[in-house]
Amino acid sequence: MSLMSGAGQGNRYHSLSILLHWSIVLGLMFMFASGLYMVYADISRADQFRLFQIHKASGVIMLWAILLRIGVRIFTKAPAALDALTPTENLQAKLGHTALYIALITMPLSGWLMVSASPFGLPTLVFVDWINWPHVPGVARNKAIETIANNVHWITAISLATLILGHISAVVWHKKKHKINLLKRMWWSKQ
Amino acid sequence: MMNALVGKLTRLRYAGLFVALCIVSASVYALNTYTVDNKGSKVGFSGEHVGMKFSGVFEKWQADLVLPPHSNPSITASFDLRSAKTGDFTYDTALLEGDWFDVKNHPQGSFVSDSVEMIDGGFKVSGQLTLRGFSKTQTFFLKQTGNKLSANFAINRLDYRIGYDSDPEAEWVGQDIMMILDLETQ
Repeated sequence: MSLMSGAGQGNRYHSLSILLHWSIVLGLMFMFASGLYMVYADISRADQFRLFQIHKASGVIMLWAILLRIGVRIFTKAPAALDALTPTENLQAKLGHTALYIALITMPLSGWLMVSASPFGLPTLVFVDWINWPHVPGVARNKAIETIANNVHWITAISLATLILGHISAVVWHKKKHKINLLKRMWWSKQ
Repeated sequence: MMNALVGKLTRLRYAGLFVALCIVSASVYALNTYTVDNKGSKVGFSGEHVGMKFSGVFEKWQADLVLPPHSNPSITASFDLRSAKTGDFTYDTALLEGDWFDVKNHPQGSFVSDSVEMIDGGFKVSGQLTLRGFSKTQTFFLKQTGNKLSANFAINRLDYRIGYDSDPEAEWVGQDIMMILDLETQ
């Protein structure tokens, strides 16, 4: 393997992808936890309100991270498909990853749309009050769109959780069946 | 000679009395007619959001007061809803939105009195408060202390459909909003 094609990277994802992958893992843990907690937990209205605002602001950061991640994925070379897999299995892997990306980007977009359409009209302030993230134009006080976006947000959250479970299971399955440690592709490990 | 002098003095006295009366009535008129604005005076509001008190002021407003004993008393005021400031960026931004003050369609609020009666310690004021295109009768006690006039009275935000889509059950934002007037008439 030449230095140009890989520079030790031939069988792993781009450094930025790795960094973003694990950052997004941490981010998702927080988003799932805060999202469920702010809706279901028995907390005061004040805490609920604060948590909503934190969830919204964090969602904007997640959106940037996911967009950057997709950008890096498009403009860098991903590790080659596994020889040990059948073409069908490789296709399934590809579809699984594509579905993950779609779910990942749908989460913040549907959240953003929901916030923008909400009659509350509350701003989304990122990094306390450093950035006043704009609302999606043209949907202000639109309860129909708010409801749709809300449902999409929920359905996508459940889909994403399921996909992540499948994603982790696949790693375990490949390790057991093919004796391949795929985690190495998502870390700065020596092959 | 003496009689003529007395007569002249009497006429002068009457004339003086007449002038004095004029001055008194003019000053009664003047003393009870005021134009006040945000310089030295305050029009504010307060309420509760998620169990926490918030308060704010209108930075731009103007009021004309003609108070009893003036024979034709009235109070009219207009305030710029865009100038509502609470000191909290989230509130200040949201207040301008369509479901709250809806400043795009209704930038001004107004109050026009129907009656102003002098009562012990001040005035009983009743009139139309208009917000977001909705007018409701509000009655309050305008307390007079020296050259200061003050009032505190609650309005129901849902009467004006403020936050009606967002929070009609007042789960987040209290239904009662206190209006706070602190006016200095000189």
